[in-house]
Amino acid sequence: MTDFLDLILEPLQEVFHAIRQFLPNLLAMLVILIIGILVARVLRAILVRFLTAIKFDSWSDRMGVTTLMRKSDLWAKPSLALGAILYWIMIIIALAMGMSALKIQAVDNLVSQFFMYLPRAFSAIMILLVGYMLTGFVSRAVLIAAVNSGYHYAKLLAEAIRLLLTVLVLAMVLEQLQVAPGIVLAAFSIIFGGIVLALAISFGVGGIDAAKRMIERETGEKRTEEPKDDVEHI
Amino acid sequence: MKTVAFRKEVQEQLEKIQRADIVVGIPSFNNARTIGHVVRAVQAGLAKYFPDRKSVLINSDGGSTDNTLEVVRNTSIENYDSILLHHRVEPLFKIATPYSGLPGKGSAFRTIFEMAGALDAKACVVVDSDLRSITPEWIELLVKPVLDDGFDYVAPLYHRHKYDGTITNSIVYPLTRSLYGKRIRQPIGGDFGFSGKLAKFYLTKDVWQTDVARFGIDIWMTTTAIANQFNVTQSFLGAKIHDAKDPGSDLSAMLYQVVGATFELMETYHDVWKPIRGSEPVTAFGFEYSVGLEQVNVNTGKMLKLFQEGLKNLRELWVAVLGNSDFREVERLGTLGDREFQFPLALWTRVIYDYAIAFHNKKLPIEHLIKSLTPLYLGKTASFILEVEQMGQEEAEAAIEKLCQEFEINKEYLTASWK
Repeated sequence: MTDFLDLILEPLQEVFHAIRQFLPNLLAMLVILIIGILVARVLRAILVRFLTAIKFDSWSDRMGVTTLMRKSDLWAKPSLALGAILYWIMIIIALAMGMSALKIQAVDNLVSQFFMYLPRAFSAIMILLVGYMLTGFVSRAVLIAAVNSGYHYAKLLAEAIRLLLTVLVLAMVLEQLQVAPGIVLAAFSIIFGGIVLALAISFGVGGIDAAKRMIERETGEKRTEEPKDDVEHI
Repeated sequence: MKTVAFRKEVQEQLEKIQRADIVVGIPSFNNARTIGHVVRAVQAGLAKYFPDRKSVLINSDGGSTDNTLEVVRNTSIENYDSILLHHRVEPLFKIATPYSGLPGKGSAFRTIFEMAGALDAKACVVVDSDLRSITPEWIELLVKPVLDDGFDYVAPLYHRHKYDGTITNSIVYPLTRSLYGKRIRQPIGGDFGFSGKLAKFYLTKDVWQTDVARFGIDIWMTTTAIANQFNVTQSFLGAKIHDAKDPGSDLSAMLYQVVGATFELMETYHDVWKPIRGSEPVTAFGFEYSVGLEQVNVNTGKMLKLFQEGLKNLRELWVAVLGNSDFREVERLGTLGDREFQFPLALWTRVIYDYAIAFHNKKLPIEHLIKSLTPLYLGKTASFILEVEQMGQEEAEAAIEKLCQEFEINKEYLTASWK
C-alpha cells in the first residue's frame, strides 16, 4: 500500500518541486517585463519630446518620409511613429530578457540568436530610410533640372533614375539582412544590368535618326535657326 | 564680430591715407577688359563733382587671372583739361587688393565696407566692374544725396528695355514693395550709394559665411537698409549697359540666387513686414530722360513650351506648393494658345506668395523648391511680353505698376498663411 502511494505521490512531488524551482524564474520574468514596459514608456516620451524640439516632423515632410507613411496608410506624425517603434523594440527586448530569466535552454538559444540579428536589422532599416530619402532627392533634382532644360521626357528620366536607385537600395537591404544573399546578388545583377541594357538599346536604336541629323549638320548641311532670345532676366 | 584682416601693404596704405570723405568700391573678377572705363569714369566723377573731398577708390578683387588689378593700378586720366574746368584739389587714392572670404560679390563688398569703416568715410559708392554706360555723373548722383541731403542709402534707377530685368519686374520689385512699403524700383540694381554709418551697420550683421556673401548681397543691402529704418532714396542714372552675360548662364540658378535670398530675408524681417500695408513712393534724384535702347529679341514660343513641360512634369510638386485651387487655375492656362496666353496678375501674386510660404514651412529642399518656379516664371514672362509687345516704355511701366498693386492688395493672403 505504501509503495502504491509512493508511486502516485513521487511524480506529484517532482512536479511540485519543479514548479517550486520554476516559480522564482517566472516571477523574475514578470518583474523584468514590468520594468521593461515602464522604461519603454519613459524612453518613448523622452524621444518624442526630443524629436518635437528639433522639428523632426517638418524635416520628415521635406524629405518625403511623411509622404511615404501616408502612402502606407500610416497617419500618425513621424515623431510619434518613431516613438511607437522605440516603444515596441524596448518591449521585445524586455520580453527576450524576461524569457532568458526562465532559464530554458531552447529559449536561451532563441533569445541569443535574436540579439545577434538585431544590429543587422537596425542597419538594414537605416539603409532603407536613408536610401529612400536619397532616391527621392536625386530623382526630384533630375526631374527639375530636366524640365528646366526643356527635355521632353523629364518625368520618364526621373522615374528611371528612381527605379535604378530603388533596386540598388533594396538589394543592399536584403544583403544586409542576409536573406538568400546568393539569389539576391544574382537577381540584382540581372535586373540592374537589364535596365541599363534596355536604356542603352532604346537610346541607341531610338537615337539613330537624331545622331544622323547631328552628323549631317556637322558636315555642312544648313538648318533653320531658332529665333533668338536676348532677354536679360536680371 | 570677426573683422577682415588686411594685407600688410593695404594696412600701410590705409594708415597713410588715415581718413576719407568718399570711398568708391569696385568688386571684380576677370574684368580687365571693362574695368578701365569704370575707373576712369569714377576718377572723372570725383574730380568734377567732389574736387575738394578726400576720396579713395578701392578695387576688391576675387583672384583675377587676367591682370584686372594691374589695369586698375595703371588706369588714370592723362589730361583732365579736356573734361574739367577746374582741377581737383584733393588727391585720389587707389587701393587694389584681393578680398578674403567665400568667393562672391558679398565678400568683395565686405572688404570695401571694412576699408570704408577704417577710413571713417562719410559716403560710399559701389559700382559694377563691367559697366559700359557709367558716366562721371553717376558718382554725383550716388554720393550727393548722402553727403548733402542726409540720406543713408541711394538705390539706382535705370531706364531698361521693357523686356529686360523681368525677375526684378515680376518678382523682386513687387514683392519687396508690398513687404516693406517702399517703392524702390531697382532693389537689386548693383550700383548703390550709402553712408559710412550704414556701411558700419552692415558689418555688424553676421552674414558673411552665408549665401549673402556669395550672391545675395544686392537684395540684402537694400532690404537691410529699409527694414532697419535707414533713410532711403533713389537716383536716375540713365541706361544700364554692361558686358553681355554668358548665354549659357542658367536661368533657374539665377532665380534660385535672387528669389532664395529675398525669401531668406523675409524670415529675418518677418516682424517688420507683417504689419505693413500699402507702400509709399521714394524720392528720386536726377533728371529723368528717355534713353534709346537696343532692340531685344524674344522667343515667347520657347518660354511657353517650357511652361507646358513644367505643367506636364511638375504637377505633383506644384500641387504641393500651390494647393489644388491655384494649381487648377495654372492648369487652365496650359489650354490657351500661344497668342492668347495671359497669366492673370492675381494668380501670379498668389503663386509667389505660395512659394514664399512653402519656403517658410520648409516643404521641400530650398533649391528644388525655387528651381521648380522656373517654368511658371517663364510663363509669366511670356505673358508680360505678349501684353506689352505693342506698348511704349511708359505703358509697359504702367502694367508693372498694376502688378505691384495686386501684390499689395493680396498681402493679407501671405500674412494669414505665415505662421
